[in-house]
Amino acid sequence: MKGNLWKSICLFMIVAMLISACATATTAPATVAPATSAPAAATCKDADRVPISWSTIAGFYTDAMTKIVSDFEATHCVKVTVVNIDNSQLYDKQIIEAVGNTGAYDVFTMETAEKASFAENNYILPMDDYINANSAAVDYNDVAPILADITTRYKGHIWGLPYYTYTQGQFFRQDLFDDPTEQAAFKAKYGYDLTPPQTWDQTHDVAEFFTRKAGENLKGVPLTKDFYGIGLMAGPYQEIQDELLGMIIWKGSDVLANDGTITVNDAANEWALDFYVNQLLPFAPPAATTVTYDGVMNQMQDCQIAMTANFFLDQWPNAVKTEQSCPGAVMGIGEGIEKTVYVGAFLLGVSSSSKHPKEAMDFVAYVGGKEAQTTFASMGGSTTRISVLSDPQFNTPESRPFTAHFAVLLKVFQNMTGKNSNLFYSPFGAKLYNSEGLIEHKAAVHEVTPAESLKELYDTWVQYCGGTICTVNR
Amino acid sequence: MESAVIEKPKPAPKAKKTMSDKWYGGLLITPAMVIILIFALIPLFYAVNVSFRHADLTMGGIQGWVGLNNYRTVLHEAKFWATVKTTLVFTCVAIIVEMSLGVLIAFLIYGATWGKGLIRSLVILPLATAPAVTGLFWRYLYDTQFGPFNYFISLLGLPWHPNWLGDIKLGMASLIIFDTWLWVPFVALIVLAGLQSLPKEPFEAAELDGASTFRVLRTLTAPMLGPVLTLVFILRTIDLLRLYDSVATLTRSGPGDTTETMTYYLYRQGLVFFRMDYASTMALLFMFAVIVASGFALRPLLTRLAKRAGAR
Repeated sequence: MKGNLWKSICLFMIVAMLISACATATTAPATVAPATSAPAAATCKDADRVPISWSTIAGFYTDAMTKIVSDFEATHCVKVTVVNIDNSQLYDKQIIEAVGNTGAYDVFTMETAEKASFAENNYILPMDDYINANSAAVDYNDVAPILADITTRYKGHIWGLPYYTYTQGQFFRQDLFDDPTEQAAFKAKYGYDLTPPQTWDQTHDVAEFFTRKAGENLKGVPLTKDFYGIGLMAGPYQEIQDELLGMIIWKGSDVLANDGTITVNDAANEWALDFYVNQLLPFAPPAATTVTYDGVMNQMQDCQIAMTANFFLDQWPNAVKTEQSCPGAVMGIGEGIEKTVYVGAFLLGVSSSSKHPKEAMDFVAYVGGKEAQTTFASMGGSTTRISVLSDPQFNTPESRPFTAHFAVLLKVFQNMTGKNSNLFYSPFGAKLYNSEGLIEHKAAVHEVTPAESLKELYDTWVQYCGGTICTVNR
Repeated sequence: MESAVIEKPKPAPKAKKTMSDKWYGGLLITPAMVIILIFALIPLFYAVNVSFRHADLTMGGIQGWVGLNNYRTVLHEAKFWATVKTTLVFTCVAIIVEMSLGVLIAFLIYGATWGKGLIRSLVILPLATAPAVTGLFWRYLYDTQFGPFNYFISLLGLPWHPNWLGDIKLGMASLIIFDTWLWVPFVALIVLAGLQSLPKEPFEAAELDGASTFRVLRTLTAPMLGPVLTLVFILRTIDLLRLYDSVATLTRSGPGDTTETMTYYLYRQGLVFFRMDYASTMALLFMFAVIVASGFALRPLLTRLAKRAGAR
């Protein structure tokens, strides 16, 4: 009996090894097949389609992306597998696959601050030759210049194309600013006219003015719950640093100097965090210390806040829903306080371990191209192309609920020309960016002072960069 | 003359060669050992190797030998010790609360005269879902503006409007409450099983002798339930020490970094900043601490079990 058992185990192992060897033999050629030019899509059979996979953000305009992928497949003999990954895990997952050179994803989705890290480590392929060879189709010059610069350029090469911008501006309840009772009360208290704030001092005043307890009047009507002057993204996420970056740049500084010197604890950085914590946060809902952008949009739609600070303009379709949820609300949109804001976009790049780089580049060019970007914009997406942003069809009263921010984005890109952060050109950018929010959030919840928070941030960055100077490759 | 035929004695049938018990036992555990070798020991040795090297995956990958530098850096890092403190505070408070409530609930169910099955089924519900999922659900429960907890507090007319996940004084308590909700049923069910397996005779004898409830509890129930309680205590302690998923989904180490446990910090070092050298070093230090602590905690239990086995 025991002998039989032993023989059975041996037999099982031999069979298992044979099966696995056969499986390897049948799959191996497919994985090493060189990229070949695909047959025309019209005559293309499913079996002939070149498979590529795209790692992207789960829940971000999934419907629009499905449509765009479908359109791409209709014109290319390629089968695109979309791998939706939660935004908080996207960078980690992509890096693991890139380090392992697994080829699991042919196309990566990256944040602005991550581009240099991917490029420096050769996780993505430069696309200069492809773009030059397909200049008419790609029309690289149509990409908003500041986005093209910060999201695609590094060490003299172009590493991909941006397809979705989350550049900031400002949202506010225009109806509150237009109300004569509120205007008179504001003028009496502060001595100047009530308008959507243009400066940080005005932002403080307006935030303070509109912060009221339940029972007090707003537009002459008693409030049923507490109302707050400003919505802030002070939770343990990265967005707090995006709110701060515009303030820091407006003060003439940055988080990294041009030579890479870490400046996160300089006077401008300290002013920004101190002002944010002590002059703005007291007028935000208590939940401000737990939320990010979606939480602020919930507060806006729940009639809790009068305005945002500098905030992601791609959220306009959510912000405008306030007009339905709050009686009498009219939403306004601005270029941002001091007209100096965080600018950024998601970009697509081709993995250097892609088995089909040409098809992957075709896909990147398609998604970032005018046709797909127009489709994207028509479905509420925040496009990166000047021609689409200025397309008259997206500047009509009918399109206002989806695209009213397009005209503002054009102005913001203009305002921010030449004011982009050095963070986006550092190969340490991803690490620095990922570490910043949690440390600054400590000041927001008063666990430490702003100065202590920035000291910790400075020390952390010194550790990551191996010294007080982080490499910056403009 | 009759010839005597001397029959040759037949050779004894050749005994079939069989495998000894020792080898047979070895054979049976081989698959498990192979799996452990592949999935536990090889990564462990790899982690040991990485902990002695410079390994920044996004800056050159695994590089040269640096000796004990990583251990020196980690052990001198204030942040590391802050997370150790957070982990210990969380573990100590949570284990006391969970064990106390778990034992209490087990006794209540044990003494219940009806609906035991239904109560047991209800109690097990929190264990039936992943902490990652329930953590997200509890984020909503704790929400300052829209959460049911604050809604019920306001219904009571209390002037208190807690910011459960945004106030540094409440963050740890919120995490402990969540973990207690999640794991008290586990403690209660194991203790209940222990209670139900206790022999009846000593308790009947004590009742005949007129022993008080407290005396029975002190001299019979507690000692007899001791091994079960010890086991649950150790299992829960180890689990609490390596808390990750609840932090990741519920608090994200906030407010501030008041709920940043060792494992969450380790995760951030390894899989956000890709410093595999520091992450491996911390993981090994953590594993060493848990093994030593578990060894001390398990010794009395193992000694008792060995004695019991010897007596049989």
